[in-house]
Amino acid sequence: MKAHRISGGLIDRTKPLTFSFNHERYQGFEGDTLASALVANGIKLVGRSFKYHRPRGIFSAGSEEPNALFQIGHEAHQEPNCRGTVTELYDGLEATSQNHLGFLSHDLLAVNDLLSPFLSAGFYYKTFMWPKSFWEKLYEPVIRSAAGLGALSKRPDPDVYDKGYLHCDLLVIGAGPAGLWAALNAARAGARVIIADEDFLSGGRLNSERFEVDGMPGTAWASKIAEELQAQDNVRFMTRTTVFGSYDHGIYGALERKTDHLLESNGKPRQVLWRIYSKRSLLCSGAIERPIAFGNNDRPGIMLAGAARTYLTRYAAVPGQSVAVFTNNDDGWQTAFDFAEAGIEVKAVIDTRSDCRKIAPEGAMPFYGDQVIDTKGRKGVNLALLKSGAGVECDFLAVSGGWNPALHLTCHQRGKPQWNEAINAFIPSPDLPKGMSVAGAANGSLTLSAALEEANKEAHAISEDLGFKTKSSPAPTASDEAYEGAPFWYVADSKSRAFVDLQNDVTSKDIALAHQEGFRSVEHLKRYTTMGMATDQGKTSNILGLAISAHYTGKTIPETGTTIFRPPYTPVPIGAFAGRSRGKDFRPTRLTPSHQWASKNGASFVETGLWLRAEWYVKPGEKGWRDSVDREAKAVREGVGICDVTTLGKIDIQGRDAGTFLDKVYTNTFSTLAVGKVRYGLMLREDGLAMDDGTTARLGETHFVMTTTTANAVLVYRHLEFCRQCLFPDLDVHLISTTEEWAQFAVAGPKSRALLEKIADNPADLSNGAFPFMACGEIAICGGLKARLFRISFSGELAYEIAVPRRYGHALFERLIKDGKAFGVVPYGTEALNVLRIEKGHATANEICGQVGAQALGLGKMLSSKKDFIGKTLGKRPGIAETDLRLAGFRPLDRNRILTAGAHFISNGQTASLENDEGWMTSVAYSPGLGYSIGLGFIKNGDKRIGEIVTAFDAVRDNSMDVEIVSPHFVDPEGERLRG
Amino acid sequence: MAETSLKAKSPLNGYRKTLGKTKLEEVSGLSIVSLAIPQRGKTKLSDALKTAFGVAVPAPGKTLTMTSESGLLIGLQSDLVFALFMKDMPDPVGFIGGKIGDTAYLTRQSDGWCALRLSGPLTFAALERLSQVDLSPQSFPVGAVARTAMEHLNVIAIREDNETFLLLSASSSAPSFLHAVETSVRNVL
Repeated sequence: MKAHRISGGLIDRTKPLTFSFNHERYQGFEGDTLASALVANGIKLVGRSFKYHRPRGIFSAGSEEPNALFQIGHEAHQEPNCRGTVTELYDGLEATSQNHLGFLSHDLLAVNDLLSPFLSAGFYYKTFMWPKSFWEKLYEPVIRSAAGLGALSKRPDPDVYDKGYLHCDLLVIGAGPAGLWAALNAARAGARVIIADEDFLSGGRLNSERFEVDGMPGTAWASKIAEELQAQDNVRFMTRTTVFGSYDHGIYGALERKTDHLLESNGKPRQVLWRIYSKRSLLCSGAIERPIAFGNNDRPGIMLAGAARTYLTRYAAVPGQSVAVFTNNDDGWQTAFDFAEAGIEVKAVIDTRSDCRKIAPEGAMPFYGDQVIDTKGRKGVNLALLKSGAGVECDFLAVSGGWNPALHLTCHQRGKPQWNEAINAFIPSPDLPKGMSVAGAANGSLTLSAALEEANKEAHAISEDLGFKTKSSPAPTASDEAYEGAPFWYVADSKSRAFVDLQNDVTSKDIALAHQEGFRSVEHLKRYTTMGMATDQGKTSNILGLAISAHYTGKTIPETGTTIFRPPYTPVPIGAFAGRSRGKDFRPTRLTPSHQWASKNGASFVETGLWLRAEWYVKPGEKGWRDSVDREAKAVREGVGICDVTTLGKIDIQGRDAGTFLDKVYTNTFSTLAVGKVRYGLMLREDGLAMDDGTTARLGETHFVMTTTTANAVLVYRHLEFCRQCLFPDLDVHLISTTEEWAQFAVAGPKSRALLEKIADNPADLSNGAFPFMACGEIAICGGLKARLFRISFSGELAYEIAVPRRYGHALFERLIKDGKAFGVVPYGTEALNVLRIEKGHATANEICGQVGAQALGLGKMLSSKKDFIGKTLGKRPGIAETDLRLAGFRPLDRNRILTAGAHFISNGQTASLENDEGWMTSVAYSPGLGYSIGLGFIKNGDKRIGEIVTAFDAVRDNSMDVEIVSPHFVDPEGERLRG
Repeated sequence: MAETSLKAKSPLNGYRKTLGKTKLEEVSGLSIVSLAIPQRGKTKLSDALKTAFGVAVPAPGKTLTMTSESGLLIGLQSDLVFALFMKDMPDPVGFIGGKIGDTAYLTRQSDGWCALRLSGPLTFAALERLSQVDLSPQSFPVGAVARTAMEHLNVIAIREDNETFLLLSASSSAPSFLHAVETSVRNVL
């Protein structure tokens, strides 16, 4: 038996690696890919095809691989659809084949291949039509389980991912000869260069060929240039990094595989998703070889000719011992020469060109003007049948249909490639993404010498364009290898199925069928046949498909056009897109100053935006949240409670025109507010609907502090900045958020004054006369700490809000609780706060919901007629100004019933329909003071219907009931408490 | 009369950790005041600042080191400067106001920010994983400042020396911010 591994190659034989494939152990070496190691172990059958479950082998040596897809790893680490051709081998790698039932060699689903006449393109559109209900429950699940590309572990991904941002003058995409040389020249000129390549070894095709550059072996030259680049401070050399997308403004997406070549990540990110900001980019992504479609061209042992050279030269791995080559171009012949040079038997070279005069290697039979029309060999090719009638016995058939520039990234911003007759392939159009240039094979310069010349020219041009001085230097010397060929896409005389897209089992007949059934546009062709979909995105199949489609439509290939290439160029794991943003790291958390105290004292927390707020504090013996909330609300009404309201937005507004500015953004007037006073304000959107409310205090002639609701803090700040910078740029007014600066606590209840007097330094006169409702000022507390005090009330009680620098917030909260014990103090959370404000009839986000104006809120009198303000004009529209909706209170007739927010009001005796809808319940709470459920809501003419009974209709929760319309002020309608 | 003073608490309780050769520590005891520049008042403020601290109004993106105090003036936008003092002041607004009068609108900011200092050889690599801003020495030399976002959090980044950054982010989300920065350092260790 002949060896599958020969001498030479770029593998490190001192570092053997053990891996498993389908639970069998094998050995490879450092420098191998999984595919090359399998080749070197004589493995040909590596998987089953998508639809027909046909045996498949390794087809390519790069990221374009359609066949050799594996599941790598096990349990939660298992990842499907890994291309073995780019999977770097490591010790302990576990790979299993995909898409078969039973053993790989005896796949039970291979019966599909026998049913292939019934499984042509779009078969599922035409069959399984009856009975209709079976599609979802039976047919689709069966089809999905029979076809597929591997399986997920269905467990959370335990790997760690990260993301990052890079910046450069020049991004060079691809570290083949053109990329290396261009990067070096730009770096020498002084540019900040990032060079990225998806391979773990730079050099590109130099590693697969026997070229010389500047008189030295190509691999040695590549290694030397790479070393020089890596030594430069202004160069970032990124191997194992795929630039997968080109986006606006010179931004590129790249995936760096950090630990995929290691058995363990040791807690480090497995992959990093980079966003690269570049001033210029140079695409040197090379070219991808295309196959020729002929009968049974998908058998294991049939491989792209360039890939065969890669395995032979780079990995010293022999994919076959008896070789035939089928080509339409000179480059295909190189495979025959290289294999013969390596001492491997070359049986034949079949060239479609009649006028070809290449001389075959010794012992090989040339067939000029001939074609392979069929092959034999169930699990590996063993015979190639030619159109001339000859048969070539071989265990390996290398195929070359020419090379396509890997121009995908030039199309990510809608660029349309252009057809080039000279190389029979699409090349990038001049309409490239801004800042991008292309050099080398990616630009259609398919020979090494031409690629280096072009890279040299582009590097100098880009460097100069970026403002760097460059010295004119010649490109390295290299040969112009032969690549001439004649267009040839598929063997028309093949009777057997000729596979165009190996990954999706699309045959030339499928394309003919699509044409016959009217799917003639390339985009329709793609969707109907699935050609060009899945992990390889048709990198080896698209051109063949287009050529066959062009034949049927009678158009040329350029007239047929291509489908649109979109990011990503190669698959990117969802985990990499998510990066760190998983679980609790999905978003940051904001904590109040009293959070630590609350955590230790039974608080249950609720997320309000990014904030965690205490919603209630559980005391021993309390059986449910209602017990806690009822207790807290009652304690505030009877004694005193403390609530952390730091989360409310606080905006410092200063300037000579600050008062004028507030007059414009609020419906009521603030320029007349006296220093030391607070006023409630209502803010409208430009469309006249209510935007937010809150209090604003005047601390000085040119100094105000606005409070906003927690939810709208950012929205209001942004709105004010827009007003300041865009609407009123001439006003001298300045904004800065102080939400974070001040810890602020509501101290509410009839004993709140007494508690504050206890912590205040003497003399502190907080009497009604000295510090009345809606007063504000500075106060010294706790031995000299300056605090801001506001006499405002959301609860409807005698209440204050006290603010201290945040660093003292925790201690002040503790002090208030400690000193408040004598007054029966309780900490209260957002739920009790909500109960208290509903009892008082204060609106919040449930009412200021973006659907109502000031009138509906009962705040029509706050719309100043003496000045202009934002929202005034559009707020006069009938739907807003003349609305008959009014905020009202509601209570159930049956006091034992619990109201639900969202219920709609229907007049008694009317049917529940849209026409009879009179409004909706916005907020509800159980009032421990009143002993029954209460609600706020909007209802037509609510202010004139006090005492009327209507139905609160709630079909969703089956909780409809009769309710009485009452005043929205359930507690202290005259405001005596808060002014007390 | 209250009996005792309240005990101050920094956002990260004085966190300090060395990861490899890279140090990450909370810088507490800073005093920060925002100076909003009145319309058409930049020259007047500059003159006042020169007299008070020896430096003029910095351009946005630049910091200037005070000559008379241990502190920086930080240029954040065309009409906004932060004064950052490397010491704890009970009334920083009063302190600056006493020196420059009404040439700027002053707002206390000391407690609004959590400050982290990141220093050591992995500083730049760690910040690459967090900030979209180009923080390389070529684009972001010593003394440069930028407002940026890191893991959804607003951050003011200042380069103090080649391998040292002072990062300011909101106090309330300080634990999340610390977690983000520490994770970055660990990821590049």
